[in-house]
Amino acid sequence: MSRILNVVRLQLINKQTFIWVPLIVLAGAVVVSVLIYAMIPVDTPKYGGGGQAPLWVFFAVGLSAMTMTFPFSQALSITRRDFFLGTVLSAALASVFMAVIFVIGGFIEQLTDGYGVNGYVFHLPWVWEAGPLGAFVVFFTLALFFFLVGFTGATIYKSWGAVVLTIASLVLVLVLLAIVFMITRLELWGDVWNGILHLGAVGLALWGLVVVAVLAGVSFLAFRRAIP
Amino acid sequence: MTAVIEVHNLTKRYKTKNALDNVSLSIEGGAIYGLLGRNGAGKTTLMSILTAQNFESSGTVKVFGEHPYENAPVLSRICFVRESQKYPDDATPRHAFKAASLFFKNWNQEFAEQLIADFQLPMKQTIKKLSRGQLSAVGVIIGLASRAEITFFDEPYLGLDAVARQIFYDRLLDDYAEFPRTIILSSHLIDEVSNLIEHVVVIDDGQILVNEDTDSLRDRAVTVVGDAAAVDAWAGGREVLHSESLGRVRSVTVLGALSADERAEVTASGLDLAPVSLQQLIVRLTQKAGATNSAENQEVR
Repeated sequence: MSRILNVVRLQLINKQTFIWVPLIVLAGAVVVSVLIYAMIPVDTPKYGGGGQAPLWVFFAVGLSAMTMTFPFSQALSITRRDFFLGTVLSAALASVFMAVIFVIGGFIEQLTDGYGVNGYVFHLPWVWEAGPLGAFVVFFTLALFFFLVGFTGATIYKSWGAVVLTIASLVLVLVLLAIVFMITRLELWGDVWNGILHLGAVGLALWGLVVVAVLAGVSFLAFRRAIP
Repeated sequence: MTAVIEVHNLTKRYKTKNALDNVSLSIEGGAIYGLLGRNGAGKTTLMSILTAQNFESSGTVKVFGEHPYENAPVLSRICFVRESQKYPDDATPRHAFKAASLFFKNWNQEFAEQLIADFQLPMKQTIKKLSRGQLSAVGVIIGLASRAEITFFDEPYLGLDAVARQIFYDRLLDDYAEFPRTIILSSHLIDEVSNLIEHVVVIDDGQILVNEDTDSLRDRAVTVVGDAAAVDAWAGGREVLHSESLGRVRSVTVLGALSADERAEVTASGLDLAPVSLQQLIVRLTQKAGATNSAENQEVR
């Protein structure tokens, strides 16, 4: 266990990657969003997707955890298992941090009536339906999901090359398309939307956590034979 | 004493060639080993497999009596910094050494600080902005200050200037004398390290060509210099590794140790004995092996 915690310390030695860069990107996105909201002359609340910006940073962090930090961890004689668990734990901690920031942002928006311009980056009604804790779960799941997609993609790329990564992505897209086609063909969209509304953002996020767990499993299997 | 590293019939296959071809090797430990060979001979591949950074295609690998893959107790006693080592994005040397101190239980920060000063390594620049020599210095410092029971150095001198190389060799010898351990130094510059290494492992085209003490290896051959006809007469019937002529003077390196009597005989017949440099000997053994291999291949064809 202490080795896994040391991997967390290794990942967080340079706080820039996991903490500061996502925060700076988020702050930038908020500023830009608010400026744009201020220019839109409507009285209804304005919502935007600026909050997703740091999620893409998590994708990049996941990628570089595999391509750069993993080779370094091998020079430090860390087993792949310890590195993987420590890295996912670091990502989970960073995701918790990010989710807390999102929730705090949501509170600020409520208190200031959307920065005084009725514009919202964090406090999206559907996400906040189940309260701050629900919003926290949604943001946490999304951040961890993006990290793992980056990490898994990089692992597949390093182990089997660009062709396999492309094929794997293509297969995934085809499977999703097939599901969409089936739903359309069987005229089930009504049920699907009802289901999603019924589940709510939190329900979806909890299913998202299942997806995250599966993704982590797949990632670990691919990673076990990775060569720096 | 049992060997710290034992390898049997190790083969590493890549698509087009075998990087390692049925290698068997035993390393006793407690000495400075030179892992010598040409570029692409399989040095880095062998070290990567010994440290579970890479995987064998077949054969058995044992380090401290166990396979190193996912074996934390074994791996924690090993340090291998690659020649083309990657570091986390945005990491500075300070970050890298801090990380190393977390994982190597014998890590000595004082020694690291001394080496940082010796190599005049800038600590606040990110590693990706360092020069090739400074990058090598980061690896050298991690390797030395970790004081791991088996430490691999992979072409550690790349890009280091003459002064820095000498610092590395001096510090390595001093620290090794104080804290004996197993050092495996891979190099294709044999003369550079020939005074350092106590034991020589030569790898060529994925096969172990030589695995013996440096002194006994030096004794394996002798160079005789003198009048061409006399030298030829003396060398007749011996296995000639290399022959070189300048005018009437010929220098012949032959395999096989000479007894005291034979040495006296050589001197008496007006010929001179010249020292065989490790580099020359290994180069010639390697060339000879290459020639035999290609001859065999031609026969097969």
